[in-house]
Amino acid sequence: MMKRNVAIIGCGQTKHGRLRDVNTSEMIAEAAWKAMEDANVTPDEVDAIVVGNMQGFGGIYDTELWAGELFGAPKPFLRITTGGTTGGSVAHGGYYSVASGLYDVVLAVAFEKHSDSKERGASTGLAHVAMANIFHTMQHGASIKWLVSLATGAATGVSAFQASCYMYRSGCGVKHLDMVAAKSRRNAAKNEYAHLRWPNCTPEDIAKTEWISYPLRFGHVCPASDGASAVVYAEEEIAKKKAERPAWIKGVAAYADEPNLMGENSQGTAITDLSEQLQCIISAREAYQRAGIKNPRKEIDMAEIYQPFPHQELMFSERVDLFDDGKAWIALEEGQTEIDGSMPLDPSGGVISTNAIGSSAMQRVLECALQVMGKAGKHQVPKDVKNAVAHGWGGATNFTTITVLGDSPRR
Amino acid sequence: MNRKIAIVGYAQTHHEHDPPNTREGMVFEAAKGALDKAGITREAIDTVINVSSDYQDGRTISNLFLVMAEGAYLKDESKVEMDGAFGVLYAMMRILSGNHDTAMVVGVTQGSIFSPHQISFYTLDPTFDRQIGLLNDISAAAIQARMYKNKHDVSDEQIAMVSVKNLVNAASNPYAHRKIPDLNVKKVLGSKLYYDPIRELNISPISDGACAVVLASEEKAKEITDAPVWIKGVGSCQDSYLRDRNLLKLESLEIAAKKAYEMAGLKNPSKEFDVAEVTERFSHEELMIYEALGLCSEGRGKILIETGVTERKGQIPVNPSGGALGADPVLATGLVRIAEAAKQIRGEAGKYQIQGVRQALAHGQTGLCAQSNIVFILGGEE
Repeated sequence: MMKRNVAIIGCGQTKHGRLRDVNTSEMIAEAAWKAMEDANVTPDEVDAIVVGNMQGFGGIYDTELWAGELFGAPKPFLRITTGGTTGGSVAHGGYYSVASGLYDVVLAVAFEKHSDSKERGASTGLAHVAMANIFHTMQHGASIKWLVSLATGAATGVSAFQASCYMYRSGCGVKHLDMVAAKSRRNAAKNEYAHLRWPNCTPEDIAKTEWISYPLRFGHVCPASDGASAVVYAEEEIAKKKAERPAWIKGVAAYADEPNLMGENSQGTAITDLSEQLQCIISAREAYQRAGIKNPRKEIDMAEIYQPFPHQELMFSERVDLFDDGKAWIALEEGQTEIDGSMPLDPSGGVISTNAIGSSAMQRVLECALQVMGKAGKHQVPKDVKNAVAHGWGGATNFTTITVLGDSPRR
Repeated sequence: MNRKIAIVGYAQTHHEHDPPNTREGMVFEAAKGALDKAGITREAIDTVINVSSDYQDGRTISNLFLVMAEGAYLKDESKVEMDGAFGVLYAMMRILSGNHDTAMVVGVTQGSIFSPHQISFYTLDPTFDRQIGLLNDISAAAIQARMYKNKHDVSDEQIAMVSVKNLVNAASNPYAHRKIPDLNVKKVLGSKLYYDPIRELNISPISDGACAVVLASEEKAKEITDAPVWIKGVGSCQDSYLRDRNLLKLESLEIAAKKAYEMAGLKNPSKEFDVAEVTERFSHEELMIYEALGLCSEGRGKILIETGVTERKGQIPVNPSGGALGADPVLATGLVRIAEAAKQIRGEAGKYQIQGVRQALAHGQTGLCAQSNIVFILGGEE
């Protein structure tokens, strides 16, 4: 069958940080309207809306039900949420809405407003993801000591464990994590929408920050940001009319694996090497295949990796096949992953610098689209971006969303 | 649609309040049941759409620990956090895109864990309506019911007749939760008053349950089964928020139905489908649903229920399975409606089978006073 070509024709995002001057609905509306303006479409031209955030942070439920009018209701709405990957899943939902032929122009919006919540955000306060399972497994005799050490750290705890796994696997050191974090802060300084911006940040600056949970320091950890991001998708004819240089969606995939560590019964029967990330390898392979990309290392010009913690930029860039397994830190040392390197990673500053969790994986897609469209401003990579890959990560390290974007439609 | 899509398998659990089963157990039962029904194994499924809610489940990333139970590991997986019927829409989109050929949609809610009525409070505008503390799904529905009664001169007895029809119907459905075979209008009007005019038997029960549906493209469907149920049309729409919409009508349902009819090529819808399975969280809603679906003109829903048109033996049977008043596992409810409609087409509904069903309608909804609606038109072999 003929597959329908779909492109991103407009992007919009809010500034990220502690946004106390707007409420959630105003924040979403700002991103949505910016995207529609950028795409040169009116709300009437939008056929449907896909929306998502990670529920539970601000004490609000199904925001689009009470805030929908501010960005388009009455219209068909689809709410898609998958935790950390929510933004990527919303982006995929928008793509599929148009690719299905049911709609021609679709707005996809993802957001989070951490500061409305008393909870400290995703990096430390996510223990309740697994709480029900933890109590359940205690009934079956699992040690409380082991469970508490794993669960109280939440995202940081799991990621510290994952970072150790990765360091053992690749042979890289904490200094490489410092380098990634410093690079992200420097890149973020060029991105006016980013949260933690630190011009001329050096690995030494990061190394001075205190330990959170070995091997992660304070300087390695993402902030809990407020922010929203939105993109407008259109089918081929409309895209060509509306945008000078649309960012074409060439391939998407979002494979899930069993929850790492806490598999079926938290008894260690599931995946124990958290840096393995099989679901990411498969997602990338499928997405490249759908995109017609045979050699990603040659054909992909830049990537936005979902990296709330620095080892993840190295690890996932390997899993999406941009570097050999365990070798990304060498490319980092050589400067290949800088904005002006041969394989720029996270020129926007990435998730280490900005993490409005529901929106973060959408931002990866949005930033790749900006790079393809040549609209990234000060953090535009100096080379011509023909193909880019956007990555999202979440769950109990077991969800991945991959989106491959390009400057020409798929044939 | 550029590709025909069929339902080839479905299964649901017995809906109950707080059954001796886990969330994972129910999902496994439904998913395995649907695969068995289709006569295929997990390997034949390309993509899985989970339908569950973080708030309902009391944990964020509600699909996280369901990946194994629904057999979605190492498969393209995502989650829709609305009624299950919207999950079917997303699964359809994935098949229509050409990326996938088969899909499974699994919806689950344990209403007993966190009352859906309590959660409805969180879908209110947090800066104004929630602070006042008067509104929730039942009180909002009461406002709607009262407005509807006044405008169209509908009596409490007429609204109670919906409960009688559906709860008596539920008695012959082995999966239903609330079955009252000897119910009458007097008993409904004698049940506990919540918010006038809404009484206990006007409200859907709080159920725990799961449902799964397997979809396939035309080529795959023909390989899998001799009795595919084709999805002929679908339409959805979401209304504005409570205070900004006309509560007297279900306008978004009207738009959704129109789209679904158009896609399915139905010119005179009320004559062209033989049964409807709709999600009526409150009995007065079913009357409003009749009107929005075009089964009668505005304000005439009461005539349909009074004259028995929507009874099992009537011209257009609505909810022969008992509907949402019979069992309401919140996010799985719309999915159950689709499974029940498919059952009717395949002639597998047992004691509540309607004779000669060729086309059926299924409806799902999300939000206060049926704010977001979706309509499916299903059909058997032409």
